[in-house]
Amino acid sequence: MPSAIRYLLQALAYAAFAAFIGYFSTAPAYRQLDDNQALLKLSFSHGAQLKEKCRERGPAELAKLAPNMRARFDCPRERSLLIVEIDMDGKPLYRIEAPPSGLRHDGPSIVYRRLAVTAGKHHFRARLADGPDGVLGYEREANVELAPGRVLIVDFVPQQGGFVFTGG
Amino acid sequence: MAAATVPLRALRDLDSKLGSVFDAAFPSSANPWRHLGALAFLCFVVTIASGIIAFVFYDTSVAGAYRSAVSLSDDPALLGRLLRGMHRYPADAFMLLTVLHLAREMVRGHFLGARWFSWLTGVPLILLLWACGITGLWLLWDERALYSVTATAEWFQSLPLLAEPLARNFLGAEAVNDRFFSLVMFLHIGVPLFLLAATWVHVQRLAQARIWPPPLLTCGSLAMFALLSLIAPVQSLHEAATTRTPPRIALDWFYLFPHPVADALSSAGAWLLVAGVLLFLSLLPLWTKLPWRAPLPAVAQVDPVNCSGCVRCVADCPFAAIVMVPRTGTGKHALQAQVIADQCVACGICAGACPSSTPFRTAGELVSGIELPDLPIAALRADLEKRVAALPGSNKILVFTCAQATGGAGLADAGAAVIPLACAAMLPPSFIEYALHAGAGGVVIAGCREGDCEFRLGDQLVMERFSGLREPRLRRAVPRTQLAVVWAGEDRARIRETILALRATMLRDTNSGTLLRIT
Repeated sequence: MPSAIRYLLQALAYAAFAAFIGYFSTAPAYRQLDDNQALLKLSFSHGAQLKEKCRERGPAELAKLAPNMRARFDCPRERSLLIVEIDMDGKPLYRIEAPPSGLRHDGPSIVYRRLAVTAGKHHFRARLADGPDGVLGYEREANVELAPGRVLIVDFVPQQGGFVFTGG
Repeated sequence: MAAATVPLRALRDLDSKLGSVFDAAFPSSANPWRHLGALAFLCFVVTIASGIIAFVFYDTSVAGAYRSAVSLSDDPALLGRLLRGMHRYPADAFMLLTVLHLAREMVRGHFLGARWFSWLTGVPLILLLWACGITGLWLLWDERALYSVTATAEWFQSLPLLAEPLARNFLGAEAVNDRFFSLVMFLHIGVPLFLLAATWVHVQRLAQARIWPPPLLTCGSLAMFALLSLIAPVQSLHEAATTRTPPRIALDWFYLFPHPVADALSSAGAWLLVAGVLLFLSLLPLWTKLPWRAPLPAVAQVDPVNCSGCVRCVADCPFAAIVMVPRTGTGKHALQAQVIADQCVACGICAGACPSSTPFRTAGELVSGIELPDLPIAALRADLEKRVAALPGSNKILVFTCAQATGGAGLADAGAAVIPLACAAMLPPSFIEYALHAGAGGVVIAGCREGDCEFRLGDQLVMERFSGLREPRLRRAVPRTQLAVVWAGEDRARIRETILALRATMLRDTNSGTLLRIT
């Protein structure tokens, strides 16, 4: 084959490879949301109340224990199940039961969810139960205008009174 | 069993055809399809070099990371564009070429036997490479970076190892601070260094490892990346903001493909897929241990009585499987060769290099100092004599073929006798002279494609021996017009053409020539 044609074929091979690299380095675009959707992120870490209350040991029970183990109260370490409910426009969006972390179930419960929702004005209601009785003791409602592509973060900070809505 | 081999054969045919396609454009010795590993390494080096320069201009802070990357693209002298392109595009090509290199080696069965080491040390390189690339994309701190770092965090936090969700670190603007960029930069520099070290380990059991592509491919690739950088400049997306995310994201698919996969399969499904693929690749070397698989050929054996300690086999072994050790028996030489069985692939190149492999030896039994038990030199000589004697006519042609490439099949109609070898370089050059003495009118050496030897260096060693550049040399007295070398792989038509051309030459001119015919 004449060398000129071979050089041309080489140039074509380089061009094809470059086109492949150049194209797939940015394309095709990945669609993670529809054009009229926004993103709701529910994320927090919270240590629920202990599952059982401390129990006072009697004198006989204390006597059976080694001297260095004679603590007056027996406090089980296991924490309660955390229950979270999120409603959007009166309809349930999430009901999550988050168990405590750790091998002895004594760590905080971890919640992380990501959900695409339709953009627009929405009424959110978030409730949480962190006690052994399962009562949804924390509650917050908010009206949020969600523009397309915006991210609404729902956090839970007990020091700020419970749920915190940011973004949107 | 048959069902398992049919797709494999189809893949090998595809590999061969792809190599042939590139042969139409490139010289056979610079065929990019046969230098995928070396091209990947070139991309690695270019990425490192451009990355070192880019680091000078990069600001490892929340406020400056995005701006410093964008300002490079805005450089009116286009040097910034060139720099970003010469960092990003070779990095993308690095991943693509590495995956192709791995796939090609897998299709060719280069995970079996002694090659397990290179295989197993090569598989984890993909993970390291992925870590290098994805951390680089995060440093740009645009919308794609935030999306990727969040998606990666979500993927990793699905493993039951972490007390806190990793992705919480990227939920609010106040959550990301300058330390994040210092950490990612540390990873983006540290992991490539680790990758470089791991690559060195990867080629440790290869002698004369070809880590650089031929100059033609090197120059062509660099020019291609430079042009691509200027024609399609690398651009950042909008600056990262935790309060918004684009519905459509321009992904770099070479590194960010796990995110759509995790979306499609779930995080756990993506982990299972990764674990499954890695497990499959890691267990491949055990393939020959399966009870129904044929055992691998026996490794080379040293005969201390005939080993002169010349070290030619050590110099020629492509897999560094031979070492010299103090002589165990009697003999005037201090050293003798010893085969490291775990590293020997039974190519027989050592037998081709051994000076005691000459078929002209008449004193006693012909035993080479080092040879393959399955194809000893004495058996090769006997086969040669028998086949030459059986050929009719006066212009007898003997073809020594590489069994890996052609297997000698399909050449009977060319009127030549075929002797298959483990590798073309297994043939000691003195056998050519011996064949001509025994009555052959011509000899053809047919091996794998140039630069694509199944045993890495066979074609190079043959040519150096025939050209007198390497011991054992083909004697000058051997008429070159009666010898043809063809690197055609499985292209039997081309081998047949070579045989016919040699026969025509023999009929026309029986005088000794000076040039070796190579097709």
